[in-house]
Amino acid sequence: MEISARQKIIDDLLPKKFGAKGRIWALTLVIVCLIGMYAYYRQLSKGLIVTDMRDYASWGIYISNFVFFVAISLVGSLITAVLRIVHVNWSTPLTRIAEIIAVSAITFASLIIIVDMGRPERFYNLFIHGRLQSPILWDVIVITTYFFISLLLLYLPLLPDFEIMLKAKAGGGKFLRGIYSFLGSFWKNTPQQIKISEKSVRILCITIIPVAFAIHTVTSWLFATTYRPGWDSTNFGAYFISGAFLVGSGAVLVAMFIFRYMYDLEKYITQEHFDKMGKIVVMLALVYLYFNLNEFLVPAFKMKKTDADHLLGLFRGEYSRVFWFALTTSMFLPILILVFRKGRKPVPAFIAGVLVVVGSWFKRYVIVTPTLLHPFLPMYDVPDSYKHYFPSWEEWAIAMGSLAGMLLIITLFARIFPIIPIQETISEIEEHEKV
Amino acid sequence: MKKYKYYTLTGLIALQITGACFAQTEKKELILGLSYINDNNQVQYLKANTKAKVEGKFRQISGIPVSFYIGSAVPANLLGKAVTDEHGLAALPIPASARDEWNKSSSHSFLVVSDSSVSYSAATTSIDLTKARIRLDTAADKKITAVLVEQKGADWTPVKGVDMKIAVKRLGGDLDVSETPTYTTDSLGEAHADFKLLNLPGDATGNLVIVAKVEDNDLFGNLSTERTVPWGTSSGFISDYDNRSLFARASRAPLWLLWMATSITISVWIVIFYLFVQIWKIKKLGA
Repeated sequence: MEISARQKIIDDLLPKKFGAKGRIWALTLVIVCLIGMYAYYRQLSKGLIVTDMRDYASWGIYISNFVFFVAISLVGSLITAVLRIVHVNWSTPLTRIAEIIAVSAITFASLIIIVDMGRPERFYNLFIHGRLQSPILWDVIVITTYFFISLLLLYLPLLPDFEIMLKAKAGGGKFLRGIYSFLGSFWKNTPQQIKISEKSVRILCITIIPVAFAIHTVTSWLFATTYRPGWDSTNFGAYFISGAFLVGSGAVLVAMFIFRYMYDLEKYITQEHFDKMGKIVVMLALVYLYFNLNEFLVPAFKMKKTDADHLLGLFRGEYSRVFWFALTTSMFLPILILVFRKGRKPVPAFIAGVLVVVGSWFKRYVIVTPTLLHPFLPMYDVPDSYKHYFPSWEEWAIAMGSLAGMLLIITLFARIFPIIPIQETISEIEEHEKV
Repeated sequence: MKKYKYYTLTGLIALQITGACFAQTEKKELILGLSYINDNNQVQYLKANTKAKVEGKFRQISGIPVSFYIGSAVPANLLGKAVTDEHGLAALPIPASARDEWNKSSSHSFLVVSDSSVSYSAATTSIDLTKARIRLDTAADKKITAVLVEQKGADWTPVKGVDMKIAVKRLGGDLDVSETPTYTTDSLGEAHADFKLLNLPGDATGNLVIVAKVEDNDLFGNLSTERTVPWGTSSGFISDYDNRSLFARASRAPLWLLWMATSITISVWIVIFYLFVQIWKIKKLGA
């Protein structure tokens, strides 16, 4: 490859300072986070009574958010690990986007669980007195493990880029160069270093797949091991994993479009990428639809007395609007858009991605809350507020704050580090030229 | 003609309203029952039960005040008062203050009186009773002898021809000791039963409670006597608190779970640790 072509790629992919739009976006996220922090301060000082959660709906949008974060974090394993192992090279520009989504999502999954605790200062008891028999402890173990593996999978492929960024004096400031120097100044691109790095990434790619499956299966078991209408299902592990791959891929579609537009990356994130990611989303949506059919059609066919209230509440009762909205936006519409070639162009694909992400968030809400409000033993002699759930403003603020926090991590990452792997892109083009 | 029609109709309505206003509610007849109970030769008591026909069916009536008397219904013979519970029953232990009256004779009359109320008419009923008791003996070969004796003057004499029940006391009722449901006392006042129940769970040390009963006898009322015998099997509580199970406390997790979870977690963390070592190696190579 010519030096000028190589330099062009480096110039294109080096992190850039925020423009006006970027600053407004980051500032907006910071403000939403601050509002969320204030709401959490109120919750800490006044207790969980500021939420609308009561004896029955003891898991509200915090847990819906937790499941959403865990789900979206699975995309790291799909795009980076699965596609890398099967030598799908077109996904290279998307790997870092997927990995930073995974790391930021799993970070906030851990945080939102603490937010859901009435007495967070007692969190350490989970480690001291945790019962290994409890899926909650499995979740703690597997989330921690997945966080470190995702972090390593983000960090190791970044090493060659640190050398490039240090040479190119990227970032513009002493502070950022200090970060690059601390994290990767030891990378000299020697054959031995490359060999160790590639081997480590291969090991990571293999390791992350079972851990990723475990993290979401265990999350599904938090529900499925509880004997309640709507959760008492052997289908839950596969149902959750298929849904997680779908929402993660939808998020990648959205992020691809935004980074492509904001950083002028049309040459690197091409229409072909949207076309292929679109096909993957259609396939995942169909798989998820299949599991949804299993999840709802089978119990609805039998309509056992204990399940009937819950199911009818979803199909045509109190939760029908949010239920059908979630199904339509997370599956039906994206399939309709992306199944056609024209729908896999950047703009329609972006819209489909947004629909998937929004619909999937509501889908988690539908999984968590309606079941809690349909216990096996009828609600008797309880205050009226126990029978319904609608999040308080503090809950909304904290939930939105956590989502904004996740986006802020991605935004800041894209400001500090190259969002498309520079060295890998150069290597792939060089290999392509050789062929 | 039409005018007369209206007059007639108005008159009929007025009659109906007047009738409804001045009609008195008819009092229901209260049926009063009385029984005497002597459990295990301890404090004897009287039990009244109240019934009335409500909507064509006999129902127990709660909240009825009743007064118990010995001999005759005069204030000097009042034993006590009680109010019927939700099952229509009111019980009164024979008070210590009635000891002298009780000791005067071997037979007594008891009365229960309910005064007239808004809904129910007054009612009175009485029973005549001869003092009696049951003695219960057991032999090592699991033979049970129950003896019924009545007081005659200063003596206690056997009673012949009274049906008696001999059973094992269980939580939900009595379990017959053999296939014979009742036993009749002989000329010695004795009823004999063989204990034929095998491997019947008893308490922690295998003890069972044998009970001999005379129920609703016209002369003696309700009598019963109990005796504890070691004829059952031990059913001591076996705690599973220390067993390893999915539902036990943290330190009693099943071994298979501990082994699986720990080995998987350690394996994955060995890989993570190995990767940190690889990063350290890369760093060393670049130093």
